[in-house]
Amino acid sequence: MSGPKNLNARERARLAADQAAARKRERRILIIMIAAFILIVVGGGIAFQAWRTSRAPSAAPSTSVSVSPVTITNGRPIPLGSAEAPVTITLYEDFHCPHCADFEEEFGPTITQAQQSATARVELYPMAFIDEGSITAANAMACAAEAGFGQAYYLGLFANHTLQWSDPQLIDLAAKVSGSSPSEGFRTCVMRRAHADWVTSMNAAADTNGVDQTPTMLINGKEVDIATLTPESLRTMINDAAQK
Amino acid sequence: MATESRLAAAAPWASTGARLVLGGVFLVAGALKIIDPQSAVAAVRAYELLPVSMATIVGWGQPFVEVALGVLLLAGIATRIVAAASGLLLVIFIAAVVSAAVRGLSIDCGCFGGGGPVPPGQTAYGIEILRDLGLLLLALWLVWQPSSRFAVDGLATGRPRKAAR
Repeated sequence: MSGPKNLNARERARLAADQAAARKRERRILIIMIAAFILIVVGGGIAFQAWRTSRAPSAAPSTSVSVSPVTITNGRPIPLGSAEAPVTITLYEDFHCPHCADFEEEFGPTITQAQQSATARVELYPMAFIDEGSITAANAMACAAEAGFGQAYYLGLFANHTLQWSDPQLIDLAAKVSGSSPSEGFRTCVMRRAHADWVTSMNAAADTNGVDQTPTMLINGKEVDIATLTPESLRTMINDAAQK
Repeated sequence: MATESRLAAAAPWASTGARLVLGGVFLVAGALKIIDPQSAVAAVRAYELLPVSMATIVGWGQPFVEVALGVLLLAGIATRIVAAASGLLLVIFIAAVVSAAVRGLSIDCGCFGGGGPVPPGQTAYGIEILRDLGLLLLALWLVWQPSSRFAVDGLATGRPRKAAR
């Protein structure tokens, strides 16, 4: 096309072959560069996520709901809030279930408010089916409830739900939410998985109660459709239940 | 001849659209998963295809593949190669969702964050597969017609460069 007219056919063919080879080489270099770019981004990304999930928990939202230490009994949920509260909110949640974290972000404040005004108390069934972190967090939740800072710990677990929940992270969270270094008893409870059987019993209890997804919420024993729920409608539901 | 030249004139614009849509979807889908690594890992585990340790790596790393491809597509860098890689990724996605459907799992594909188990009857495999097939078509179009407007390319689109050196 644009080649000099005085070239003979053989020279033109050789020129074309050279160009083709050069294009091929360019292409190979480009593929390598693209592959290297993707590998660097992905490698950096994995390192970033490893750091994010293994860093120390940030401070938990403060709560004024006072909870006295509770006894952990297999098959029984953790009570959080005043025993005299007229409304019982039953929650089935996995500390690593994404929708539970969303649920807590949206409705947690409303529920905490109801606990604070002694309108409602929460009965928490921490389920553990997502991963290892679900189990360690559920066990530590029981340890915290036993030690008397269950409510703050529960909020802290969800506020830091992107963490993988290794033992040091769980102990660190206890220090942050209770404002003091956790007792030796709490540490041992976390590290020895003291309530492993209770965690298993929570899954079994959920199964028995026909709960097949988290989060599941019941108000005075009646299941609430979370899909259509708003914080306002939840507040109304709680107040209505308190009137009865 | 007339229709051919019209196609030749329209193709770069169509390719620009395909690049922006495919790149935009990848970028958004990847970013949503990067925000919540725990969910991404849970979503991968829900497919029950990989051992736990692998699922963690894939859950953390795969969203960055999407972001990288999305950025390259939006910029229009090495469009044909990147589109081919995108197509391959989409084929893997489709295969994973089809396998979940065939095995009767009740999960959300986790394509745009979230994911994991859903109650039986609340799966959306049909829509998820159709959407991925649509994106796969865009990727295949770009493999066929990689040159487009507003692209960094010009280089290595598989055609001789027209511009003078």
